[in-house]
Amino acid sequence: MKTLQQSDNMKNIFILLPLILSLLSCTSQKKEVPVSTNDAGLEGWARPAAQGAMSAAYFTYTNTLDTADTLSSLTSNVSMMTQLHESYMTDDGLAGMREMKNHVIDPDEKLVLEPGGLHIMLMRLTNDLAEGDSVTVTLNFAQAGEVVITVPVKMSN
Amino acid sequence: MLNRGILTFGFNVLFTKKRQVISCYPVMKKYFLFTLLPLMVACNQAKVIDDLNDASFALVNQEGENVNFPDDYKGKYVVMGFIYTHCPDICPLITRNMVNIQEELGYPEDVQFVGISFDPGRDTPEVLKKYKNAFNLEENFDFLTADSTVMAAFLDSVRVRTQVSLSTENENGEEIYFLNHSDKIMVLDPKSRVIFEYGGSMTKPEYIIEDLATVR
Repeated sequence: MKTLQQSDNMKNIFILLPLILSLLSCTSQKKEVPVSTNDAGLEGWARPAAQGAMSAAYFTYTNTLDTADTLSSLTSNVSMMTQLHESYMTDDGLAGMREMKNHVIDPDEKLVLEPGGLHIMLMRLTNDLAEGDSVTVTLNFAQAGEVVITVPVKMSN
Repeated sequence: MLNRGILTFGFNVLFTKKRQVISCYPVMKKYFLFTLLPLMVACNQAKVIDDLNDASFALVNQEGENVNFPDDYKGKYVVMGFIYTHCPDICPLITRNMVNIQEELGYPEDVQFVGISFDPGRDTPEVLKKYKNAFNLEENFDFLTADSTVMAAFLDSVRVRTQVSLSTENENGEEIYFLNHSDKIMVLDPKSRVIFEYGGSMTKPEYIIEDLATVR
């Protein structure tokens, strides 16, 4: 009698298993997975945008001096205003952006500009930027002086 | 009545004594089609986060055409991101994610892509059209703006927040401001119910595509 009951229990387990698995699979439909946004590589690029709008430029600059350097100001040939900005997450979970004035770069440190992080803000574009165009950014450092970087305009992936 | 049956059955299975579980066996055989099968079908229905079925917002697209949201998109899945065009870093990542999803899906007719501007004062239809053109976008991809009062009500209904963060002046003394904002992409089902919600700039498109595949 006991053996028969155990056998019935086994039957029930096999029958109930799909039901339990179905219930479990219903519990997690929502997914939020962070992903690296460093798709810029090291060659540099700028976003396409319309005249009067905003764009951003991305590249990597290394301070090769043996002393810390300060990025005092920036200009560009395509924008009325040019600033170093940083995208960040606020304490209450909003995406924000802030200007990074007088940003200091230590010796041998890389200034990495990439989507979702530090970037050159090209504000109030003087003309449309389309793939095939190029953007020149002039960085004025306290020690290194004027550094000119030209990057192509291209669509990111 | 059917749901009640499922719940009752589940309760018996999970919480009653062994003898009662055994007594469920014939019941399960009898009601298999009415319990397990509907439950498995139900697994293809995502949890509803917000129901916009009864909502109605008078929005305007990049062509200056009136859009009654969500009614004009009913019957389609809607992949909806929130952006403003003065944001050249995070918001293009959100837009780019939606573009990649559309490309990966092969530009399906039953999925509408929508970029909602939470900066309606500056993002006029003309500005949004230029923004769309900069991304070389085609059909089934709209950017929507509205009267600021309507847009505030719409954003509130889907829990999208903004706050003025940084402001600066241009060479003419005109104020340029930036916004802190929610970073979101949502998916609505054909009944205008929000069924998925993601970090807009940071979620891989393939995860959203995978979730869409579970309900489409």
